[in-house]
Amino acid sequence: MAGPRDRVCLVVDDSRVVRKVARRILESHGFTVEEAEDGSQALESCRRAMPGSVLLDWNMPVMNGIDFLKALREEFGPGNPPVLFCTTENDIDRIEQAITYGAQEFIMKPFDDEILVGKFTQVGLL
Amino acid sequence: MDDLLADFLTETNESLAELDLALVKLERAPDDAQTLSLIFRHVHTIKGTCGFLGLPRLEHIAHAAENVLGRMRDGKLAATPDVISSVLAAVDVIKAIVAGLAASGNEPAGDDTRLAASLNAIAEGRTPAMAAPPPPPIIPTTTATATAPPPAVEAVKPEPLAEAPPPADPAGDSHAGAQTIRVTVDVLEDLMTLVSELVLTRNQLLQLARRQENSGFAVPLQRLSQITSDLQEGVMKTRMQPIGNAWNKLPRLVRDLARDLGKRIELVMHGAETELDRQVLELIKDPLTHMVRNSGDHGLETPAERRAAGKSEGGRITLSACHEGGHVIIEIGDDGRGLPVDKIRAKALARGLASETELAAMSEAQILRFIFRPGFSTAAAITAVSGRGVGLDVVKTNIERIGGAIELRNAAGLGTTFTIKIPLTLAIASALIVEAGGERFAIPQLSVVELVRAGMGGEDGECRVERINNTEVLRLRERLLPLVNLRGLLALGEAAADADTAAHCIVVAQVGSTMLGIAVDAVFDTEEIVVKPVAPILRHVTMFSGNTILGDGSVIMILDPAGIARATGVVGSNEARATPGAVKDSPEAHGPQRTAMLIFRAGGPEPKAVPLGLVARLEHIEKARIELSSGQPVTQYRGRLMPLVPLSGTLDRNAESHPVLVFADEDRGQGRDRCMGLVVDEILDVADEHLAIELSGGQQPGLLGTAVIAGKATGVIDTGYWLQHAAQDWFHGARGGRPRVLVVEDAEFFRSLLVPSLSAAGYAVTAVASATQALALRDAGTAFDAIVSDIEMPELDGLEFVRRVRAGGGWAELPVIALTGHAGLADVAAGRNAGFTDYVQKFERDALLASLRQCLAQSGALAAPVG
Repeated sequence: MAGPRDRVCLVVDDSRVVRKVARRILESHGFTVEEAEDGSQALESCRRAMPGSVLLDWNMPVMNGIDFLKALREEFGPGNPPVLFCTTENDIDRIEQAITYGAQEFIMKPFDDEILVGKFTQVGLL
Repeated sequence: MDDLLADFLTETNESLAELDLALVKLERAPDDAQTLSLIFRHVHTIKGTCGFLGLPRLEHIAHAAENVLGRMRDGKLAATPDVISSVLAAVDVIKAIVAGLAASGNEPAGDDTRLAASLNAIAEGRTPAMAAPPPPPIIPTTTATATAPPPAVEAVKPEPLAEAPPPADPAGDSHAGAQTIRVTVDVLEDLMTLVSELVLTRNQLLQLARRQENSGFAVPLQRLSQITSDLQEGVMKTRMQPIGNAWNKLPRLVRDLARDLGKRIELVMHGAETELDRQVLELIKDPLTHMVRNSGDHGLETPAERRAAGKSEGGRITLSACHEGGHVIIEIGDDGRGLPVDKIRAKALARGLASETELAAMSEAQILRFIFRPGFSTAAAITAVSGRGVGLDVVKTNIERIGGAIELRNAAGLGTTFTIKIPLTLAIASALIVEAGGERFAIPQLSVVELVRAGMGGEDGECRVERINNTEVLRLRERLLPLVNLRGLLALGEAAADADTAAHCIVVAQVGSTMLGIAVDAVFDTEEIVVKPVAPILRHVTMFSGNTILGDGSVIMILDPAGIARATGVVGSNEARATPGAVKDSPEAHGPQRTAMLIFRAGGPEPKAVPLGLVARLEHIEKARIELSSGQPVTQYRGRLMPLVPLSGTLDRNAESHPVLVFADEDRGQGRDRCMGLVVDEILDVADEHLAIELSGGQQPGLLGTAVIAGKATGVIDTGYWLQHAAQDWFHGARGGRPRVLVVEDAEFFRSLLVPSLSAAGYAVTAVASATQALALRDAGTAFDAIVSDIEMPELDGLEFVRRVRAGGGWAELPVIALTGHAGLADVAAGRNAGFTDYVQKFERDALLASLRQCLAQSGALAAPVG
């Protein structure tokens, strides 16, 4: 049942630093990481090849996380792939919004190995 | 995680650059939600990433700033200048921390409590209470922001930038995402070098292939050629950056400047997308910043001053850039008060950059150019903003170093505009390929003013070569330019003595403010050349600035017009030195005393002449402009009446216009400048002539004597006589207290010229024919205020004479001015060592008078005459 792209995680964040941190953690746990700098790039990437999961930032230029999430669910239906929504304490009120639009889980920045692995396990990706 | 930190620094620096711009923009347009959201996102990202790297101090400040921005975004806080200032202050602290981080890898220590408290207070809406005492820069930072409480009137109009530069690099970066990679500059430079080599090789191949018909190589070569061109263009593109990158920091700078100075300044930018080589961009960044600062500081007035002048309160600085040929033209303009010409003139005088005489003869544009001289600053008080010891001279030097030029336009009360012309790239230059003596050379197009083909002494008045003995000059539209024959200069085969020089092409080149003609055998084409540095073995030859390889594979040298100008100067003085102290009897012996003579015709077929140095200007004055004033013909000339003296005795009523030699007596200053026009029939020529003059001994009034000039007997005019004739009041007769000047000069001709000149200027002149006679006067106890002495004299030369004067006796302290036909640096040094006070070129009448005034003023003996 496991598809070839199940272990592919698309990291969507406008910060190269954040993408790199996420990549290191995820790769150390056997994930293949693809990157996108904003929602619109992420959507393109999904249209080319759907990843097994998405680690999504909220605040990005061009297309922000929420708009991407909406578009993704609209285009490809609910539930798949699982989306983990990253946010900070300033955006706590956005979490609810994100869950409404179909995010599976949220992760507070800054995350580390333990937090990320915990959340991924929670969603059943690990 | 070291590379993470490096990534963080790059990313954050990009964000910071954008932040400055966006904040200034927001201040002008506080309702711009898009800009606000961009600002918020950048601060948010900085804060967000800090957490990953363990940078608590940065995170703390970014967090506080984000709070303020969040309130603004939610519409709960207005983007007032105070609020923006506090965010800018936070951005500055972030910058400082990031800089510290970059330098040491660790967050620098510091206490941000006050700034954070202030930001939090603003976020909570307690703005007025907290904004008044501005948060001081928390750590010693070089970018301390202007957070002083603003004057009631704020700096900038709420008007969007006319054309904001596109968001800097990061925009392309973040949008393009995976399509963008970072490459070190070194890699690009190496690529550039390799491509240049490839282009040259390609060109060689093409030349070879052209000689072979039906070669199987033709098609693939053509393809190779095309690909190489594309590749070259591509690599060039990687070096190109929009000039907006160099402008990024300016809105913030102008904003802070306006705030500091209590002015209202609007910065308008056009053509930010104009691309140029990054190397050039780097080099002009600082000059541009300096000039914008200057415009804001010196150029623009305060709102009150502007109101008083009937202008809008807000000043405007306009930056524009565009491509023009292979160059980028950048203009920095303001609509301020314009440059104060009078102050500049006064300062030039005070600094000793020019004498009053020289200044009086200068046009306004020439005077304005003094602001480019080292150490010249007109700001009465050194402000904190400009006046940091780096002046426009540095700007000019930097721009000229990259082959650029700077010009200025000034309109009193309306503003000043500086125009900078710089090459698009330094690696590839446009050059004119010329040939001389069978060799080809490249002359940088940037210094080429025009190409002319000159006839030798032909009827073409526009442009011709005049050759007298071994010196050629180029007459170009009434200007006489030094002419260098490239073949002669580089000793390529037969040199200038060749008679076909007449048919030569002449490249008129600009070197700084002077122009010179470079005669070449042939001119080919303008080519884009790849500039290679000169090999070390040739580096001492300053006539070359580099070399390049042409399409046919030949290596050619790139000429440096500035070096050529210098080299010619040296050649000239060497020639002159070749015959020192020669006997003066024969005409040939006067080698060192060549004098430029203006040759004309007046009242008879035989040519007449006057030393060119005595003539201020040549004019053609139309009949209609000549009127009679109590029987004397006069004309309005430069705002005053100028008496006209017809040399032939009467004015030819039938002539439509008259050539006039203008003699100006501008030395006297104080509004008493006078001039006199000597009307002649026809101006014939200028000859640089060895003087062999037979004095007429006063047989004919107004004529000094006859000389053979250009092979013809020519009457040499006694200017003193004619000056006297024109205006009696030029000669004040024996007025008490006139400074007494002793002229020591062996040649009677020169004495005859000097004495009336000096007398006319108000000196009591005594002339002697030898140093021995002069010393006899000294020993007899005769007193003088200054001595003017020739250098080359028989028996006792000028150097020995001045040594004896200095050795003791009544004249030991007198100023002694040397007159010489050639003043090379070495000569001047020798002269000064011997004891001369100053050096003046023979027949530079104005220079001599200026020098006398200065010497007398310094010696304090007596004030120089003022009129």
